[in-house]
Amino acid sequence: MAPLLEAISIGKTYPGGTLANDGVNLSVSAGEVHAVVGENGAGKSTLMKILFGIEQPDRGEIRLDGKPVNFANPRDAIDHGIGMVFQHFSLVPSFSVYENVVLGSEPRNGITFDREEAIAKVRALSEKFRLAVDPLPPVGQLPVGQQQRVEILKALYRDARILILDEPTAVLAPQEVEELFVAVRALVAQGRTVIFIAHKLPEVLEISDRITVMRGGKTVGSVNAKDVTEDSLATMMVGREIALRVDRAKGRGDLACEIKALKLTAENGVTVAQDLNLKVYSGEILGLVGVEGNGQAELLEAIAGLRPIADGVVYLNGTSLAPKTVLERRELGLASIPEDRIARGLATGATIAENLIATRLADKRFVRNGLLDLKAMKANALSLIERFSIRSGGPGYAVGTLSGGNMQKVVVARELSEQPKLLLVNQPTRGVDLGATQFIWKSLTDARDGGAAVLLSSADLSELLALSDRLVVFYRGKIVAAFVNSDDLTAETLGTYMLGLSSQDPETMRAALQ
Amino acid sequence: MIELLVTVFSATFFVTVVRTTTPLLFAALGGLISDLSGALNVALEGMMLIAALTAVIVSVYAPWYVAVLSGIGAGAMLGALMALFHLRFKADIILVGFAVNILATGGTVFALSQATGGDKGTSINLQSKAVPAVNLSFLEAIPVIGPTLKALLSGHSILSWLGVFMVFAVWYFLFRTPYGLWLRGVGEYPAAPEAAGIPVAKVRAWSLVASGALAGIGGAQLAMFNYIGFTRDMTAGRGFIALGAVLLGARHPVGAMLAALLFGVFEALAIVMPNLFNWIPGEMIQTIPFVVTVLALILFSYRAQRARQMRTLSKI
Repeated sequence: MAPLLEAISIGKTYPGGTLANDGVNLSVSAGEVHAVVGENGAGKSTLMKILFGIEQPDRGEIRLDGKPVNFANPRDAIDHGIGMVFQHFSLVPSFSVYENVVLGSEPRNGITFDREEAIAKVRALSEKFRLAVDPLPPVGQLPVGQQQRVEILKALYRDARILILDEPTAVLAPQEVEELFVAVRALVAQGRTVIFIAHKLPEVLEISDRITVMRGGKTVGSVNAKDVTEDSLATMMVGREIALRVDRAKGRGDLACEIKALKLTAENGVTVAQDLNLKVYSGEILGLVGVEGNGQAELLEAIAGLRPIADGVVYLNGTSLAPKTVLERRELGLASIPEDRIARGLATGATIAENLIATRLADKRFVRNGLLDLKAMKANALSLIERFSIRSGGPGYAVGTLSGGNMQKVVVARELSEQPKLLLVNQPTRGVDLGATQFIWKSLTDARDGGAAVLLSSADLSELLALSDRLVVFYRGKIVAAFVNSDDLTAETLGTYMLGLSSQDPETMRAALQ
Repeated sequence: MIELLVTVFSATFFVTVVRTTTPLLFAALGGLISDLSGALNVALEGMMLIAALTAVIVSVYAPWYVAVLSGIGAGAMLGALMALFHLRFKADIILVGFAVNILATGGTVFALSQATGGDKGTSINLQSKAVPAVNLSFLEAIPVIGPTLKALLSGHSILSWLGVFMVFAVWYFLFRTPYGLWLRGVGEYPAAPEAAGIPVAKVRAWSLVASGALAGIGGAQLAMFNYIGFTRDMTAGRGFIALGAVLLGARHPVGAMLAALLFGVFEALAIVMPNLFNWIPGEMIQTIPFVVTVLALILFSYRAQRARQMRTLSKI
């Protein structure tokens, strides 16, 4: 059978010389789930933007039903039956579900927007494709999984035959991923074709029929999902054998950080976390599990000194942290790798050398008589660039010119250049490629082995399971479960606690919290 | 005090309020449209001023409705100019807005002196026309309520009636037509309409044009009904008060009308009070509308904050 959608030797060079796509080939047959996998920066997103008309290719050809096509803008692609669901949703929060679905192609009655018709159409679509959503409430009030369904409905409302899903599982809890997969299978059963961009390999193997692997802007090859394993796919993606495995702690040391009856509130007085009791020992990694927004990030911010403590105490080696400023906490041996490296971790306009000493402006090695010692800064930067293999033009380059993975390495290098006593880590590898992930994981375990107590929060459950020695689950601002990590512990088990579907008996929890 | 109450509850006072409210109402509707499309139009003041002068000068040579239309056109062109600088040349919308305001302050004085042959203060020696008042004397024939009805409804500017209609028209456009949906979507989260293939920049450009046109009607009312003729800086901050009315009216056309009415009442008070309280300095009384605007906005932002808190509380 002739392929439905074909991309033939696509080439795309961005202004600035980045070669994002270089001879990319993709061939998608009708009625299949076709996964496109690759590391960040492999060119997946660029290829999808070309298929959806957001970017125009410099070379190569796109064929739909065997005929060459040219998409000048997304509207063209939509008119040809291609729909795309972005990782960041394109929904107007205050608009209702049905308004969002029909926006841009509203049913009309004269000059009036025909609301009844819109609601009826959305209901019919959501029944036909088993994407259960109530058309009436404002989208901003829906959970992320439902918002994603609204996005899919939007594409289907425009009669998309081919649906491109860009990293659809990145924002979902495991159970929601299952629901999404049910919907995807229903779509394929009704003759639609799904292109699925992902980098989590187990999911890719579960849902897709065929897999195209990209690396460094080129297609490495296309394989049938049933012919490959996770390891062989990972090797194709990275181009070399890669072991995403880390050694667990050999044994924990003394109590480093103790959190007692901690309560945190948001700026408007709403409680975001309460009754938090935790002990973190040096030489262990404690994983904070939870769907985003359940209090884990707030806990890390409070310990770092970025958020006031409403009630309760936090001790670091016997010293109460509450009255200390951020700088004083750092002097006590606290280090923090924040969630958003661009907004909070780095000054993107400043140089690598400047960023690497930004937390140590009281240090006599870098600042003398109130003046920066540029030579010492440069030497420091050179040695850290070497040690953390940061790929850059040199210490004088602005951090903003680096790739995501290398930016994150700058943060990690700064925080770990001296052995911390307590290390706070939030989303250490979000948007970071596999190679850098492996390196960052190694850096974190090295810090642990050097005696740091590590608090780790991540949206990626496999990361938490790989790194943590113990795990606690947050749900609605409380710790609802605690586990000592073992090979028997699965993401699904954690998922049921994350969504508040099951609860742990107090004895088990107390034992794991010690 | 009694005299004040008698004055306030008289039909003449109501007519004054409608008169003072009308320019504010048009400007507020204009501000509302551009604000909802995501471009805060701080140039309402300058647009009204330029439209007022344009209308006055055109009315010397042409019928009143041509003059009003030219005022609308002047406002719309300034809106298009803002769109050009903001959307094409990527200039900051607030800075572009203030540029228009500065252009208006200086430009109108210059154009006025050119048109009048040297007078830089008023257009008193130009034979400018007025917008006709709508005469509803026939209402008097209705028994019992007839005379009151006539006193209340007769004698308003034709543009005041248009204003009431425009409140409905803007509401219908925003909440009942697809284009209104586009406009609100563009203002709240441009990425969404963009992904749906809606030309975001075009929507913003047209709302700035519409905003200017509405402010232009306000300017025409000001110089062809509230006052006959142009005086330098005659808008006296009305464009900014209108912007306040947009926020105070919770970014809804009916709310904007009520807020404009509130400010209109205080402006009317500032007109009648000097006759009643001659011991209060006139300058003090004239500050009333502005003081009320500031107070209303403080109260509004306080209440909005409380409402936000209540919402987040009820969610948990």
